[in-house]
Amino acid sequence: MTKEIEQKLRDEIRDLLETGKVDHIIGYEAGSLKFSTTPLITGDKADVDRLVINPFIYNNLSVFLRDMCGKVGIVAKKCDARSIVSLIQSQQIARENVFIIGVPCGGIIDLAKVEKLTGLDRDEIDDIVWQKEKAVVTFGGNTREFPAKEVLADACLGCAPSDFPEYDIFIGESESLVAGKDLGRNKIKELEEMAPAQRWEFWKNEFSRCIRCYACRQICPACFCNRCFVEETEPLYISPVPKWQDNLFFQAIRMLHVAGRCTNCGECERACPVNIPLGALSKKMEEIVEELFEYRAGMDKDAPPLMTAYQLEECEDLIR
Amino acid sequence: MKKIKKQSIPGLLGKWQQEFTVFVPSKASGVSQMTVWDGKDTAFLDRNRNTAIPPKANFLPAMEKLFGFRKEAGSYKLEPADGEPPRQLLFGIHPCDARAIAIIDMVFKDAYEDRYYLSRRQNTVLVGMTCTSAYDSCFCTSLGFGPADPVDVDIMLTDIGDTFLIEEVTEKGKELLADAKGVVEATRDDEKKAAAARESASARVSRKIDTGEISKRLPLVFDDQEFWEKISAKCVSCGICTFLCPTCYCFDINDEMLRSDSGERYRNWDCCSFAVYTKMPVENPREEKWRRVRQKVYHKYLFYPELFDIIACTGCGRCIRQCPVNWDITQTLSNLPAGTPVKK
Amino acid sequence: MDNFEPKILAFCCNWCSYAGADLAGTSRMQYPPNIRIIKVMCSGRVNPFFVLKALRVGADGVLVLGCHPGDCHYMTGNYRTRRRLSITMKFLEYMGIEPERVQVSWCSASEGAKFAEVVTEVTDKLKQIGPNRLFND
Repeated sequence: MTKEIEQKLRDEIRDLLETGKVDHIIGYEAGSLKFSTTPLITGDKADVDRLVINPFIYNNLSVFLRDMCGKVGIVAKKCDARSIVSLIQSQQIARENVFIIGVPCGGIIDLAKVEKLTGLDRDEIDDIVWQKEKAVVTFGGNTREFPAKEVLADACLGCAPSDFPEYDIFIGESESLVAGKDLGRNKIKELEEMAPAQRWEFWKNEFSRCIRCYACRQICPACFCNRCFVEETEPLYISPVPKWQDNLFFQAIRMLHVAGRCTNCGECERACPVNIPLGALSKKMEEIVEELFEYRAGMDKDAPPLMTAYQLEECEDLIR
Repeated sequence: MKKIKKQSIPGLLGKWQQEFTVFVPSKASGVSQMTVWDGKDTAFLDRNRNTAIPPKANFLPAMEKLFGFRKEAGSYKLEPADGEPPRQLLFGIHPCDARAIAIIDMVFKDAYEDRYYLSRRQNTVLVGMTCTSAYDSCFCTSLGFGPADPVDVDIMLTDIGDTFLIEEVTEKGKELLADAKGVVEATRDDEKKAAAARESASARVSRKIDTGEISKRLPLVFDDQEFWEKISAKCVSCGICTFLCPTCYCFDINDEMLRSDSGERYRNWDCCSFAVYTKMPVENPREEKWRRVRQKVYHKYLFYPELFDIIACTGCGRCIRQCPVNWDITQTLSNLPAGTPVKK
Repeated sequence: MDNFEPKILAFCCNWCSYAGADLAGTSRMQYPPNIRIIKVMCSGRVNPFFVLKALRVGADGVLVLGCHPGDCHYMTGNYRTRRRLSITMKFLEYMGIEPERVQVSWCSASEGAKFAEVVTEVTDKLKQIGPNRLFND
């Protein structure tokens, strides 16, 4: 099934480039490591045959849109499409300059989870095959099946409802998802059940590892400020020295700054080289926003962004 | 050659702990890095794949206090940071990381002797270990050494099953093993096993680059903007490749003043991929991303060799494994255009 | 916790809450001196960054005081405050910061008594909770 979808995708995109409907396309191609994919950004139709669709197309490609000129065709999973719509809402890209090619997605396999389950690193695993609601993993002569709930990324498990907010064409049919609002939030649940002091200790410990590589910020489509608050030096807003206090400070503010525009795509957590569970912050933020304002980022391109909208009465129980 | 049974290693580490802070590769903190040995962990003896954070962190920490300062009677009083760094022993270092330390030593000893780095370096002993399972991202064998070579370490251990073959590489190493319990002479058979282990370790390194061809082409393609723009398109300019690279050494210096009358000066890791790295009041010569990506490649594969006669890369593969968009320097290097000779 | 005097940073908007604070003063209303006021033109100016920075540098509590919704001198500024800081308060609580340390209040220019009351209540509460040791090593 995936091979047909891949071929259909390649044919559609080749057509878009040939007819000049788009100047460039952004999609996924096979990566240089096992089970990896990598963004393919090109205006050359000869590159189109390298496009792939598989359960490892994890990148949120909308992060590249702002820097591109002309009309761009972009391969989008549902979470990516929400990010694209969120960028349109924030007037960072024009709807007419982006051609959204929706692709079916039953969830992305979280390689870190598979590594934990098998006790191996990804390059030591022979194969991972996605078979509708379970992953079949072969390693060292063994074959094991893991249900979707154990191997899909947390962000994917929390992906509900599954309506695609906006697309120009959709390749194939929407896949069924093993997802629900209460899934993919184990860490959050743990934290909610702790006392505040315990929670703070948890985050203090996690942020002791942060090295301020800013991968979380750079990979995030919602972090598009020309001058991030960490780059303000006159006066110095926040110390660039990676002490846990300032690392935690940085991330808390980053999450607050993207609130209402973050679609919880999970890229920040996946990119983090020191395994800080950023999804436990981004998903909680999404929940807070939905609870307070019944708003979800990136579902309606004509909706005003969260922070520019207001109701005459809201949240009064939080104000003294 | 000598040898020691793996089960005797904890005893040896315990003995060393009396003189040194002993670091071993461990994931206990949440990410794999050289961690102070807890006295119990032995997982690294049987499974020692390269850590995520490189051992450069033991010489050039992610943050390092340089001195404190306080306003006193109209001028500043400086308080030097804590004195002599403690002696440290890094156990289980791979040849790629050991070679990398030797490579950046050159910078910190060059025109100016960086006493912060050098005092840690001089107080360190490196106990190397062969790498028995290279990642699919490793390419050390293309850079003049292999995963089992005793380069730049004081002792080299080769894994031959339940035993390590020991090579005393330096005098420091020899001293470390004097009176060590469980260290005995190795047999011919042991040495044969070690040779076989070294060969199979090298054979596992599947990724290769041609440094000869690369050094020929790099000087010719510097101005090929189209190539560099295409190559750099997917880079997101984060700091992962730099911070996790064992041969990257750039740092920033910042003063922290939480009170208006006193503060501390720190240095912390900096990254040439950051857009603001070369930002100055008047201009930023590497404003465009393609220039920064190009700089990364050239610094490691052309400029550093011009200065120090060695490529500033040891093929450890961390940059490839950890890059959030799977930007792969070996792919870039293997696809350099043939280039046209520069017209003078 | 004897003799603990909390340091509270208050952001007061120029048109309503700062005037309210003035009124409390000119009316000789008593309220604890623990509060340090930073005047902003509008409570909507308050970036969540300011709140967390105050805690980072050692403030025991942060108060943001603005005009009542509908009365903002700039029409919609305090609506932004309300959205932004509601999220901030809930998120910081989730991270483990005691909710009493960050509070938002509406206080008009004629509500000198309310100003004094809010400051008194917040100060008392913070005296109970204790000093901010969140960012200590």
